[in-house]
Amino acid sequence: MRATLSQWSIPMLAGLLLVTVPGCSKKSVQSGGDTQSSQAGMGKGAPGSGGAGDLSGPIGSGGAAGGGVSSNFPDTSLAGRDGSGGLRGLDKNPGEERVNGGTMMAKLDPSQGGRQMDEIRSEQAAADAAGLRDVFFGYDSFAISEEGRLALSRDAEWIKANPGSQLKIEGHCDERGTSAYNLVLGEKRAKSARNYLVELGVSANRLGVVSYGKERPFCKDHSEACYAQNRRGHVVVKSGK
Amino acid sequence: MTFRMTFRTWCLGGCVVLAGLIGIIESRATDVFLEATRPDFQKIPLGVIGIQNTSGPEWLGGRLEEVLKADIRRSLVFSLVDLPSIGIKVRDVGTGPHPAFKQAKENGVSVLVWGKAGAKDGSKDADVSMDGFVYDGESDEIVGGKRYVGSSSVVRLMAHRFADELVFRYTGEPGIARTKIAYVSEQGSARELFVMDYDGYEPRQLTSDGFLNLMPRWSPDRRFLVFTAYRNRNTQDIDMIELATGKRWTIVSLPGLNITPALSPDGNFLAFASSHEGNSELYKLDTRTKAMQRMTTHASGDLSPSWAPSGRELAFASDRSGGPQIFLMSADGTNVRRLTFEGDYNAAPAWSPRGNWIAYVCRTPKKEYKLCLITPDGQKRVQLTAGPGVEDSPSWSPDGRHLVFSSTIDGKSQLYMINADGKDLERVTFTGAHNSAPAWSPAS
Repeated sequence: MRATLSQWSIPMLAGLLLVTVPGCSKKSVQSGGDTQSSQAGMGKGAPGSGGAGDLSGPIGSGGAAGGGVSSNFPDTSLAGRDGSGGLRGLDKNPGEERVNGGTMMAKLDPSQGGRQMDEIRSEQAAADAAGLRDVFFGYDSFAISEEGRLALSRDAEWIKANPGSQLKIEGHCDERGTSAYNLVLGEKRAKSARNYLVELGVSANRLGVVSYGKERPFCKDHSEACYAQNRRGHVVVKSGK
Repeated sequence: MTFRMTFRTWCLGGCVVLAGLIGIIESRATDVFLEATRPDFQKIPLGVIGIQNTSGPEWLGGRLEEVLKADIRRSLVFSLVDLPSIGIKVRDVGTGPHPAFKQAKENGVSVLVWGKAGAKDGSKDADVSMDGFVYDGESDEIVGGKRYVGSSSVVRLMAHRFADELVFRYTGEPGIARTKIAYVSEQGSARELFVMDYDGYEPRQLTSDGFLNLMPRWSPDRRFLVFTAYRNRNTQDIDMIELATGKRWTIVSLPGLNITPALSPDGNFLAFASSHEGNSELYKLDTRTKAMQRMTTHASGDLSPSWAPSGRELAFASDRSGGPQIFLMSADGTNVRRLTFEGDYNAAPAWSPRGNWIAYVCRTPKKEYKLCLITPDGQKRVQLTAGPGVEDSPSWSPDGRHLVFSSTIDGKSQLYMINADGKDLERVTFTGAHNSAPAWSPAS
């Protein structure tokens, strides 16, 4: 008898859950055949194409999946796991078990890295050329300060004077706080800035927002001076798609 | 297959940790009190005689022994006995009844482990083998062993597998030595997903799109990761990647934020936060019917869902009370109640696989971001880490005895492991300028 890693990765957690948490994992389970077919379908859902690619379209709460949700969802339900984690127990006359590495992880397939960074640099350059100013925020805050209003007023003038332009406001945070909450806070900051620009008469449909939380800091030191630089609504001229 | 579910076994998982934590809460004194309330005799004393190298690469036996001992120590099921200190010579291994057995028994050592390793018999390829044996003091016999073969690149895995067999033999649980940790590592100005062994070895890069891939979570069957990804500089999605093939695709791409995905313990639902209806709210996607249900309705941000192991409840973070706090709700979105009241910033909840604790990031009165634990009934709360460093992203080991998290305690963000009682802080990443967002895999 031989056991491979791929084999013992299959019957695993359900049993652990059964041991530790009686009463769960009673959901219906799809057959292995379904797993195969949904996996086969996944190949079509390459990143950024097909599957969930449509960003627009209304998604009703509680309704069936709309444009924003992929139909390529594999069967992730737990099925037929015995809780041994593929372990066979000690044996007085142990048979040989083959141990394989690497069956769990694919070799990396390098793709088009770097293009987004190039685009970001070109958007930055366009913003610099336009003289756009960023708005800075206090600790924990997404309120626009007096200084921020001034910066955004000047941005608004440029935007109105350049009616063909599309703008984007990136919300950024300092490294303190959780990655997840900083994404929400970054969005609040970006939307604060956008809302103020709209108040100043800029059309909302010319203003995109994206939050980067604490994931793309302008400054990487662990100091308040650096943190203040990173709590920012970064206003850039949007280029391309 | 035998396994014994004794009180001692149960106690190792639950009550030792619990007792230690209650100790902290009630006393606020730390180490001294912990030592007194968490007597190590409740762990099973185990001695590793040695892994004898018979042939093959010179480092083989030593490597196996080193990995095995580290696994045994981290299991928290066994206490590793220093055999020379009780007169048992390490590496002095026999196959039949051995003088060491009597000595071990007399010194209260419950389990003795030894083995041999070498080039696989008669094999022309570079395969190596490991034979491990286990003497059980209670039954006073060699209860069995294992024989593993494989290439020399899987030597660590052989030791991990043997360690898990030992844990399984004595607790009925599969152990954590073969678990993995997914995480995010900075590559230039990008952040890419990686997976490594639970002890920090064998890191493997999973994504290489040159942009931002954040906060991975495992599918319960360990075949997939779901994560927060940026399709491009304007659009942010929830993606899924299959580990075995590297295939990756987008599963949620609503307008605005699509963040913090978490698959339910049975794998049938994906909870996540999305701001497509204005502000960040929680949604639940049925992975079979693709029906989506909105779970929260509030004018403020709701995010970071974490499933209870029962699948019947979720913890999440919400700033509906001002700063972020931890809330609980039923899996249908009803019965929302606030869990944390101490401090003005509590986020990133992680429900323990044993159900008895929720770990989270808490901001102290000194504005430090540390790890805290709270019981789901809110009755007990304890701060797990202290001192400098911004902590983030706690994630439980599947046995509920450890947490992995990120911290800037050494400067740049790196990953650390800590016991659920606050002991044995151990750094697990040493390469890379910035490692973050660890997610511990389910048990294999």
